[in-house]
Amino acid sequence: MSFAVRALTRSLNVFHLGGSACNNCDIEILDALTPRYDVERFGLTLVGSVRHADLILLSGVFNTKAAIRARRIYEQAPKPVVVVAIGACACTGDIFRKSYNWDGPVDRYIPVDAYVAGCPPKPEAMLEAVVTLVKKLRGA
Amino acid sequence: MEMLPLTLQVLVFPGLLFAAAAGLVTSWVDRMVTARVQMRVGPPFLQPFYDVVKLMIKETCVPAGGARALFLAAPLAGLAGAALASTIIWRAFLARGSGFSGDVIVLLYLLTLPALAVILGSFASRNPLASLGGSREMKLLLAYELPFVLAVLAVVARTGALRLEEILAAPAAATRPSGIIALVVAVLCMQAKLTLVPFDAPEAETELSGGAYIEYSGPPLAVFKLTRAMMLFTMPVFLVAVFGGGIRLGDGVLPAVAGVLKVVGLVVATILIRNTAPRVRIDQAVRFFWGPATLAALVATGLVFVGL
Amino acid sequence: MTRDDILARIKAELGDRVVDFHAKSDRRYYVEVGPDDVPGATRLIFEELGARFQIATGIDTPRAIEILYHWAFDRFGFVLTLRTKLDREKPEVDSVAGICTGTEWIEREMWELLGVKFRGHPDMRHLLLRDDWPAGKFPLRRDYVRADHA
Repeated sequence: MSFAVRALTRSLNVFHLGGSACNNCDIEILDALTPRYDVERFGLTLVGSVRHADLILLSGVFNTKAAIRARRIYEQAPKPVVVVAIGACACTGDIFRKSYNWDGPVDRYIPVDAYVAGCPPKPEAMLEAVVTLVKKLRGA
Repeated sequence: MEMLPLTLQVLVFPGLLFAAAAGLVTSWVDRMVTARVQMRVGPPFLQPFYDVVKLMIKETCVPAGGARALFLAAPLAGLAGAALASTIIWRAFLARGSGFSGDVIVLLYLLTLPALAVILGSFASRNPLASLGGSREMKLLLAYELPFVLAVLAVVARTGALRLEEILAAPAAATRPSGIIALVVAVLCMQAKLTLVPFDAPEAETELSGGAYIEYSGPPLAVFKLTRAMMLFTMPVFLVAVFGGGIRLGDGVLPAVAGVLKVVGLVVATILIRNTAPRVRIDQAVRFFWGPATLAALVATGLVFVGL
Repeated sequence: MTRDDILARIKAELGDRVVDFHAKSDRRYYVEVGPDDVPGATRLIFEELGARFQIATGIDTPRAIEILYHWAFDRFGFVLTLRTKLDREKPEVDSVAGICTGTEWIEREMWELLGVKFRGHPDMRHLLLRDDWPAGKFPLRRDYVRADHA
């Protein structure tokens, strides 16, 4: 496994990309970034620009209009980058999968590396996903 | 010390590599103090180092239509300024007779280079948010440079010297009322120079998504981050040199340790201010620096002529 | 001016153009006019009486497509809804975006989801659906079937 990916796993800048979510997942993501869970000890920090992103968190159901734009934003993130889909809507579409404006889960547009199911998932679940992803990247 | 050719001094010790290493350690201290203030554990010791290394392996994206050469060269200008400033200051500590008359003025110029690099880089980014960040940085620069230079002027007026070594040889400025006031003004100006809260409007993450740095990625961003870390170390050292008598090496252990403790104290004070103050608007910052801060610096200079 | 003054004035000025007028409660009033009288009624309610535009609703019912504009009289504590019923085969009405800019986007939404044609709208394009949405497919119509198109 390359030095590049190992360096990446030690310092992940988190960027939140929302796709018209109901915001419950966004609130839980915000919780996970508060001092109570202290993600900085894993090397995770929140960044505001997609050009600084190493870990993109997708939340919300990306309808056909949002998915095209999300793809454009993903392409602006400097590679290598890992993507985590948070919540049932981002993973599978959940209650919106019969909607007229939905064309498949977001991993049809953006390659996703980890899925965190839940509606919304607890911050502990999100942290476990990130840690598992990091361990997998390091160990593989 | 004089055996190493000057280039090596600029590049290794006490220039680029030394300031970079010390800056990364100071950056870790910053994050640890912040973590403890927020009752957290905080990152591991090598975290700032990992951050820089990680940025080196990412790809560099240059915005289409932006000024490519300026975009890539601007961070290097800031790095050069910080490295040269560190070299000059530490040479004054380590080797007598190595400075030149007016090197304090040169230092003031060199220490503005990182801010200018950020401004140039933000305008080369062809991004309205970056332009906003850059224009705020310009306003802030115009604002804090005035009281900062006046505060240093207070010390220069007292010692009558424009040479860092002569300032170091004279009794420390911060033992007299004029010096104390000037030091307080300089600490607030340092807070703005390092773009730390309460004066980090150019970099307001929640408003500007990264502000001036929004389009930077990969190695150029690593250079910017490294420059910031170097400034976090070099600025307190500069302030201790001008106001606190510097780090006396070669006079015994106790004065040297005292000097180092003064630097650490300034760094911790900066971090505590950063963690407890809210961000001020850019117009409030300009009004503050051109108003009360300049006034205080003028008072300090006036006190020097009265004899305090 | 009181609430009763306003209601009296509306009834007086619209006269026999009012198809229906009833009160759901003392804070909720419904005025129905024909499609051609919508701009005139809007001008009365917005420009002369100074109501605040809240939102508009479009409903696809078995008999007609209904458009409801909800106007708030905050100082008097009631909401007045202007309703009009359009023919399901050819739902067309004059746009009121020229009178009140706040109606511009909701009229775009009503067009793209229900197929109502707003004559004279300054900027009719998709709001919520993607730009290459197939023409003539209106998702909130009763007879819309998703598998009908890509």
